[in-house]
Amino acid sequence: MTPLMKSWAPPLALLALAIALSFLMPFNLAFLTRILIMVVLVLSLDLVLGYAGIATLGQAAMYGAGAYAAGLFAIHVWADPLAGLMIGAVAGSILAFVSGLVLMRTQGLTLIMLTIAVAAICHEIANKARDITGGADGLRGIHMEPVLGMFAFDFVGTTGFWYALAVVVVIFVFVALITRAPFGLSLRGIHESPDRMAAIGVSVYWRRVTAYTVGGAIAGVAGALSAQITQLVSLESFSFTLSAEALIMLILGGTGRLYGAVLGTLIFMFVHHWAAANDPFNWLFVIGAMVLAVVFFLPKGIISASAGLARLIKGARHAGS
Amino acid sequence: MKQIFSVALVAAITSAVPGVALAETIKVGVIAPFSGPFAIYGKQYQQAIETYVAQNGTSAGDHEIEFIYKDVGGPNPDQSRSLAQELLIRDQVDYLAGFTFTPNAFAVAPLIEQSQTPTVIFNAATSSINSGSEFFLRTSYTLWQVTAPLAEWAYDQGMRTAVTTVTDYGPGIDAEKAFKAAFEAKGGQVLDQIRMPLSTTDFTPFIQSVREQSPDALFTFLPGGPPTFTYTKTYNENGLAAEGIKFLGTAETEEVNLQGLGDEALGLSTAYHYSGAHDSEANAAFKAKLVELFPDAVANWASVGAYDGTHLIYQMVAAAGSDGPAAVKSALGLEWESPRGPLTMDPETRTVIQNVYIREVERDADSGLLVNREKGVIATVGDLGWDQ
Repeated sequence: MTPLMKSWAPPLALLALAIALSFLMPFNLAFLTRILIMVVLVLSLDLVLGYAGIATLGQAAMYGAGAYAAGLFAIHVWADPLAGLMIGAVAGSILAFVSGLVLMRTQGLTLIMLTIAVAAICHEIANKARDITGGADGLRGIHMEPVLGMFAFDFVGTTGFWYALAVVVVIFVFVALITRAPFGLSLRGIHESPDRMAAIGVSVYWRRVTAYTVGGAIAGVAGALSAQITQLVSLESFSFTLSAEALIMLILGGTGRLYGAVLGTLIFMFVHHWAAANDPFNWLFVIGAMVLAVVFFLPKGIISASAGLARLIKGARHAGS
Repeated sequence: MKQIFSVALVAAITSAVPGVALAETIKVGVIAPFSGPFAIYGKQYQQAIETYVAQNGTSAGDHEIEFIYKDVGGPNPDQSRSLAQELLIRDQVDYLAGFTFTPNAFAVAPLIEQSQTPTVIFNAATSSINSGSEFFLRTSYTLWQVTAPLAEWAYDQGMRTAVTTVTDYGPGIDAEKAFKAAFEAKGGQVLDQIRMPLSTTDFTPFIQSVREQSPDALFTFLPGGPPTFTYTKTYNENGLAAEGIKFLGTAETEEVNLQGLGDEALGLSTAYHYSGAHDSEANAAFKAKLVELFPDAVANWASVGAYDGTHLIYQMVAAAGSDGPAAVKSALGLEWESPRGPLTMDPETRTVIQNVYIREVERDADSGLLVNREKGVIATVGDLGWDQ
């Protein structure tokens, strides 16, 4: 395998998997679409937390901002999906930038608490501004125009699925490029040792603000997608549960690895779906057991399973010789 | 394009089940929370459905009925919509039911419009849901339906001033508006409207402020569970009852939590559509069967909403099988005797018209348990919030 083929093989395999799933589960496109939306959100979290090392439990703030912005834009201005995605990205990045100016001055537990607070404040604003957001009833009346003027959103969810898949591909490539660019490498450096990065002349604060803003934009896109496909935005898009679930998916897959984010989301959502469908009353137990197992046996996430296995086999050989 | 697709889909679904005369298996998809903090709703629904099935068998008319349960977790419209899509497309259900939270119901409105699926709401109490689709039918209640009669009753009892204390979220604000509108329409005066944050654990400042204003009545709306315990305790400790400030509520004394409230709850007056102590044959039969199947079960408004919803589905299936529009048509104006009292499905609002009872918490002499004793009836109340 040439290096070029090697770097292209995993993303193409994932894409093939997504397409295969859409044919294998033609009746579950809505579910697959929800996975894709979560992938976008978890990728944004991966950039912020996995690469830049910004500990956050409030990624839902930007997701919700994107969702409400895209929803309101579609209702009052223009119902074009792509324009809505842009608005979602802008809303997410503005919120991330403004809050990031303060948040990035803090670290550790303080930072985590403040990110939760930002999401909670957004939740409360959306709750209070009932006339604009619909409050607890949710924002209704979103009717999207066809994607690119050609593909109308349909009942089965075919358009929604392909549309979301296209967005995931674009976002994935975008994040992959960022993390390979000097900017991404400097984020890694900051993650490893902020002091050393500061010593070699990097403005740690502004790099972190930028990373948080870019992550916010991506989370905003995820929110916008969900608003357009569900045709409803609820207060829950700002919920702590959403931030926490995204974090669990990321940890499950492996932080700081793009495939980890994708894999973690895929596995979490499938196990959730399968367990909840088979036993709608006790399925949480299965999820809990899975998360525990991964944290104990694969602390670096499921993505590290193959490497771990390889090491195990090698080690066994070594011991035997 | 969109229309062609939906027409094709409806055709595909209906062609799979030709004609209503043939016996078929009718599937009902139940979307409700079965896990997490709201799992009690799903449990109450499921027990009530199984009680109804145990009493009436698995067939309605010529058709067999089968229920499929899906866990939505909590207020989560994305999940609600995708579960509904899965039920409609993969499982090909003919009816949907459940729906505890308003956004979850709203999220499926565009779907059921296209697939013409009758959808029975067991709980979600915002009036405007039913305007989202012609296929929504509601066997629970709306906030206006119970709150406005309470305000009018309070005025008729001689109360002229009131303070409202509601939890600051959607349903609380609806309840506040409904109470104020109805109370002031009668000529009463709302002195103050206090909104308490959802996470309040200490109600003393709010209750103190009410006490200083010394109104005739204190209307309150709280989400079930812990806040109700603390609130009623604070109400008693501050001696509001002794000062003649009457407690007026709705779901605060519901049966599942009632025993936990203890003696603090004695004397609390509420207006609601179902009391476990309702004295009728239908209620006795319902409760007996429920306890026979599930010894720990307690019937409350959520169970009775699901029980009547199941009855409605059976009636629609018997009349129209899987023909959605015909089923809804057959349900409009339907009358039956429910464990809560007589019901009529209002053809206009598609929410049941029912009696609202004024109750007071008492300790039952025979069982030693707290009960909501019915003291008065406001007969046949429709959805008063429909035109708001």
